[in-house]
Amino acid sequence: MARLRATFWIYVTACVVVVHLVLLPALFFGMGYVIRESHEDLFIEHARTFSRVLADEFEVGRALDSQTRIEDLLDFAITHGGARYAELYDRGRSIRSLYGSSEIKTSRSTDLSFGQGGDGIYFVVQPIAHAGQRAELRLGFDEQPTQMRIQLALTRMLWLLAGYLAVAIAIAIILSYRLSRPIQRLQAVSRAISSGDYTRALNVNTGIRELHELAVDLEAMRHELVGVNVRLEAKIKEKEISEVRREELQKQLRHRQRLETVGTLASGIAHEINNVLVPIILFTDTALQDLPPSGAPRANLERVLAAARRAKDIVKKILTFSRELGEAKLALIDLREVVAEALHLFSALAPPTVEIRTEIDESLPLVRADATLAVHLLINLCTNAYQAMEGARGMLTIGLKYQEHADEGGVPWARVEFWVRDTGRGMDSATVERIFEPFFTTRSVGQGAGLGLSVVHGIVESFGASIAVESKIGAGTTFRIFFPSAARLEVIRDLAEPVV
Amino acid sequence: MQSILVIDDEPDVRDSVKYVLDRAGYSVRTAESAMDALAELARNPTDLIITDIIMPQINGVEAIESIRKAFPSVRIIAISGGGNFGVTEYQPSAITTTAYLASAEKAGAHLVLTKPFETVELIRSVEQVLGVGHA
Repeated sequence: MARLRATFWIYVTACVVVVHLVLLPALFFGMGYVIRESHEDLFIEHARTFSRVLADEFEVGRALDSQTRIEDLLDFAITHGGARYAELYDRGRSIRSLYGSSEIKTSRSTDLSFGQGGDGIYFVVQPIAHAGQRAELRLGFDEQPTQMRIQLALTRMLWLLAGYLAVAIAIAIILSYRLSRPIQRLQAVSRAISSGDYTRALNVNTGIRELHELAVDLEAMRHELVGVNVRLEAKIKEKEISEVRREELQKQLRHRQRLETVGTLASGIAHEINNVLVPIILFTDTALQDLPPSGAPRANLERVLAAARRAKDIVKKILTFSRELGEAKLALIDLREVVAEALHLFSALAPPTVEIRTEIDESLPLVRADATLAVHLLINLCTNAYQAMEGARGMLTIGLKYQEHADEGGVPWARVEFWVRDTGRGMDSATVERIFEPFFTTRSVGQGAGLGLSVVHGIVESFGASIAVESKIGAGTTFRIFFPSAARLEVIRDLAEPVV
Repeated sequence: MQSILVIDDEPDVRDSVKYVLDRAGYSVRTAESAMDALAELARNPTDLIITDIIMPQINGVEAIESIRKAFPSVRIIAISGGGNFGVTEYQPSAITTTAYLASAEKAGAHLVLTKPFETVELIRSVEQVLGVGHA
């Protein structure tokens, strides 16, 4: 900013100075010439006129005959005519005024111009004709006073021009400063804008039309810029949001793919194991028929058979996960009945240290699910919760909540949230990530196959519902299952298909 | 004595089923593929076929269809282990047990049995398909 200011006013001032340095000497010399000419002309005019008048006096007054009269007139020329030298030359006779300077040498002819001769005296030789006589009046006028007057006039003019130059420079400085101030203001605001502050308006109070229009144009640009900036920010934000959504979807997709891969693998293994179990079960069973009712071989083979049956159960669970046997018979059911049945089945198994609560909304829509599998699912979740609270007092809460939910497009849809919360050990995020994978378990070997939650996942999938887990180490875990609601319970109950 | 033909590519499954049914008083023969079975059926009269569904070359469903065509009087039990490989519709190229068992029934199997089964289950199923009282 300082650079512009200095440059601008120095530039204007320099321009003014340069222009005047060219103009003023020309003016000075031109005017000096005129002054000099006029003074010289006046001087010569006076000298000649005076000489003529005096010569007339000699002629008219017949003064040539009287010595005294001649002398008087010559003295008069010195004392009143401004001459320094006065002489009358008549037929070889020369009479000089005694007042005149004796050092001045006479000139026999009239000086043609001022300052000629170099002696500082301007000579006028005026012929006098009287009664056939020819005489000459020779007068010498001092050029000095006129020279001094010319000098004085020139000096005054120099001062005048110097004063004028000073005023011109002062005006140039003031004008350039006044011109640069609005530009500086514009610059300050545009700098603020370029550094991100779009709030300052570009209006400059100036009488200069071009600057005013420039400010108006810049303000229009700023306005446009603010708009573009706002739109750009909105776009960036939108992009960030969609990026987050995309990542979220990709994560879900990866999770799903992993579960499907594991499911397919588990399903293949299940098929192989089932084939292996056929001879084990059949041969062991027939062998048992041949053995006496007591004895070690019978007991051992009975254990083989029991183990094979357990293996069969495990395989069945794997197949539930892979939806082999999970052929859910979907119907419109009331989840409150599912909760009631599961609690009835489970009340005997619940350890006394665990308190069971329910938080169920009064009015709930029906959901599309398989009632038997839903009970199975709830029992699995409750078993999981009990195991998480093992050896400590805890609380298990089962909840059913109706939610009206607006999706991104603002379209409202209803869902039923079915949740199971425990106050148990909780899980870290790495565990939560893998919780639905088959054979993933946090319990020690022999305490569980790690199929419970994968079965839960399989069942939830078969209902077209979704499941989410929230967990905090030391605080507990909440499983939430979201069922898209079929309709309001009150409306649909009469039309509902028979509940299984 | 009623005769039974057991078709399964797994020798252990074949032999164990044969062993149980032999003891139950049936005359049991085995075949390890549908091709062998068709040849065997042509050679000897057979009352019941117990066939696996998932087999190489000719699968159980195709086998049942051929047998029903060639030997309409033969009774059939289809057996299979679990295993869902993602396809819910019957497709000859895909292994989908539930769909296969359903298809087997459609193709003409009189009963389907899921592996692994108990001795009692097997004998009862055979009795049911052949008609109670035949031993």
